[in-house]
Amino acid sequence: MAQFTETVEKLVSIVGKEHVKTEPDDLATHAVDNLKPKAVVFPKDTQQVSKVVELASRENLAIVPRGSGSKMSMGNPPKRLDLVVCTSRMNHMIDVDTSNLTITVEAGVKFRDIQARLATEEDRCYLPLGDLTSQADEAICSDRSHSGCFLPIDPPFSDIATIGGIIATNSTGPRRLLYNLPRDMILGVRLVAPSGLIAGAGGKTVKNVSGYDTSKLMAGSLGTLGIMCEMTFRLLPLPEKMATLLLSFESFSDASKVAKQIFDTTLLPAAVEVMNGATFTAMNIKDAPGFEPGEYVVVVAFEAFQEAVDRMRSEIKKMGLDLGAKSDASLDDASHQRFWLAVSELEGMLARKFSGLVCAKLNYRISEWEDVYNFCQKVLSDSKIDYSLQAHAGSGICLLRLLIAESDGETTEAAARALEKMLQKSVEAGGNLVIQRAPASAKGKLRMWGELSPDFIVMRRLKEQLDTSGIMSPGRFVGGL
Amino acid sequence: MDNKELAERLREIAGKDYVLTSDMDRMLYSYDASLEKAIPDVVVLPNSTEEVSKIMSLAYREKIPILGRGSGTNLTGGSIPVKGGIVVHFSRMNRILEIDIPNRTATVEPGVITLDLQTEVLKKGFIYQPDPASQKVSTIGGNIAENSGGPHCLKYGVTSNHILGLEVVLNDGTVIWTGGKSRDNPGYDLAGLFVGSEGTLGLVTKAILKLERAPETIKTMLAIYETIEDGANTVSAIIAEGIVPATLEMMDNPVMRAVEETIKVGYPLDAAAVLIIELDGMPEGMDEKAQKIMEICKQNNVREVKLAKDDAERDLLWAGRKGAFGAVGQVRPSYLCCDGTVPRTKLPEVLNKVMDISKKYDVPIGNVFHAGDGNLHPLIMFDERNKDELKRVLKASTDILKACVDVGGTISGEHGVGLEKLKETSFIFCENDIEFERHIKKAFDPDDFINPGKMIPEPVCEQ
Repeated sequence: MAQFTETVEKLVSIVGKEHVKTEPDDLATHAVDNLKPKAVVFPKDTQQVSKVVELASRENLAIVPRGSGSKMSMGNPPKRLDLVVCTSRMNHMIDVDTSNLTITVEAGVKFRDIQARLATEEDRCYLPLGDLTSQADEAICSDRSHSGCFLPIDPPFSDIATIGGIIATNSTGPRRLLYNLPRDMILGVRLVAPSGLIAGAGGKTVKNVSGYDTSKLMAGSLGTLGIMCEMTFRLLPLPEKMATLLLSFESFSDASKVAKQIFDTTLLPAAVEVMNGATFTAMNIKDAPGFEPGEYVVVVAFEAFQEAVDRMRSEIKKMGLDLGAKSDASLDDASHQRFWLAVSELEGMLARKFSGLVCAKLNYRISEWEDVYNFCQKVLSDSKIDYSLQAHAGSGICLLRLLIAESDGETTEAAARALEKMLQKSVEAGGNLVIQRAPASAKGKLRMWGELSPDFIVMRRLKEQLDTSGIMSPGRFVGGL
Repeated sequence: MDNKELAERLREIAGKDYVLTSDMDRMLYSYDASLEKAIPDVVVLPNSTEEVSKIMSLAYREKIPILGRGSGTNLTGGSIPVKGGIVVHFSRMNRILEIDIPNRTATVEPGVITLDLQTEVLKKGFIYQPDPASQKVSTIGGNIAENSGGPHCLKYGVTSNHILGLEVVLNDGTVIWTGGKSRDNPGYDLAGLFVGSEGTLGLVTKAILKLERAPETIKTMLAIYETIEDGANTVSAIIAEGIVPATLEMMDNPVMRAVEETIKVGYPLDAAAVLIIELDGMPEGMDEKAQKIMEICKQNNVREVKLAKDDAERDLLWAGRKGAFGAVGQVRPSYLCCDGTVPRTKLPEVLNKVMDISKKYDVPIGNVFHAGDGNLHPLIMFDERNKDELKRVLKASTDILKACVDVGGTISGEHGVGLEKLKETSFIFCENDIEFERHIKKAFDPDDFINPGKMIPEPVCEQ
């Protein structure tokens, strides 16, 4: 321990006394899967991160990076843990260049602050925020009058998540159908490698073939290859019109037929979600008072020119009614935004209500979504566990939440068995099943990252090459990397 | 192992007709669309992943340099065997294995010609978005290696945004699949890393590509300007209006002249620039947006702007742009195409600098560029036989790339670093950045025999 006191002094000399926390309370709140760090460090910029990591590398200290902590329950428990490195002080927007549709920010900038900064003065913003004041500092900015754009991703926890955390987990939402994934939006990165070395790649242009596309490698790597400190993204102008259509059905076959029909048209909706009644009810939507959810709700988002939104909404509504939709409702502009924010906050909301909540993401070939969905429903009703099921139809992704009030041995066993069956099903459908949240006590019984794929051999080579002493988030990632 | 034995072993793998060793044959694989040249020891044309795997294993055991080659349209020397060894030519592996509409994917071999695939999927109402100018001859494998762009990148992104899975032969001959028809497979995004790696990490033997619905409507406009600035300002103003066109392509006067001398599409020779603007998507609201765009053109002093009424008119508007490189090639014996890319709003500034550089080195430069995404293509025209001129051309090229980097851009948007821009990587990268790249390379190819000498400069002082 005496030795670690010296380490703390060195950390203090890098980031300052008030930015190194070693009190038991601080260590407990920053524990990862109940494993407490020896210190929590709050560097202010890339240089400080570099020095902290360099020290950790020299002294063989294991690091887990952390943003706002919304997704710390992902992954395997770390094999060891000494330092939690928090990015919360790294909240500068380095270059807001809306006329070129790019933004460069530090990792600790909150997603909501980016959207608020990019919104127009008329309060048009990609999140229905109470206030548009951003908590982030702004360093260099281009002309403020060019505005009215957004970072086109809609991840969960969008009100609290930091951009670094979103990218490190390649965290996505329903509107990926239209806009693609965070990994498609990132143009450049400056990172601190596990040796402490600062390395950059990419830049401010959409086209860039100058060196390896390191941004893609880092996106979704869960802090196992280094700490992303600064990132550049491409932006889009805010859509002229935003609206949402809700359709409810009593049978899955009717609900899925609508989704399938939409997919077969040339229409370009932003999202097509098929959710069970429990999912919709849990969101507690107040903007559609007359809407009766029924067993299934199909939710379609439109973000386009006004005339295109009008056409899509009327054609899809007709499809729904022809298929016997029980109820329908339309949400425009602000209520559209509130709805999708509720979708984004669903996991966090459920986590507060169900302490044993288990969340999983199933991926599979797009065309097999109905089969997978049906299979999940059957397995879950057999297992007698309450659940929320939400398919991003057209993207080949399904989100599953097991609503477990309190985890005990028996429910954990039942959940593990059900998840194993669904994992096999996803694998048969060409995909996998990743558990994105589970109580630390249950993780030993769960395959957090599903089946290992054959390309794991290369992943291991990369990890060993880039993180030679295994200090970056050791053990948390796929295959125990 | 001497070359004779190497050829013999390759014949055992690929068959005797598919190994080329004559001086003439090898010379044909010694160049690409860049100015670089080097002769391989042997060329092999495999027909399957298994054969590629065996060839790779052989190269791995014997530590013989190996590199993959498609149609050889690389503009930076990426397909030049600078260290000799084996060239693996993928022309026989040119099968479209599957077009899977329900899953919105196409599975292809690397030798498939980009346009051939696009033509096939369009018959089913779908498109594969990346459309590099060389799509008539370039291969999907080459597009993957270079992360090719094209005119549609502003709206639809580059090749890496459309690759879902890859079958790759690793350094020791192991065959892996990374990614697949399903999205979000757990683990590192290896497909994302392979795309744009300039063939330095392994050989791609199959690819799963993402397909999208063909748009219901396309509207194409052509605007003619008295100054390049007016054209470039129009581009920024359109985007500031909240409209993201599928394409924003520009050509300057020297290129328009070359086009008129050869293919004649009716460009006014006294104008400074033409801008092609294309919208795509659902027809609703598109007429209004086209009107709005034409108003924006007028606000920016356009001399004339016209909207194509039908496909024939659209093809005519595009003919000049698509034929531009060829036209320049006919006017002058050689040209060097720079690929610097800048943030879009910096275009007028950089174009002015390009003109200054043209004067400074006394070399004519024409500009044809993807204005929407800031990707310049200054064509430095010259005669390769004039050695003094060639020297000035290379200096001008370096200066142009420096000018791009100075305004926050980069040295290559879609052609890659290859051999030609190894030196210029120092404009954008410091030694640390390159060191990180070397680590990535080492994870895949610690012996440095897969397309060696490309993309990553050697350390300044080697121990």
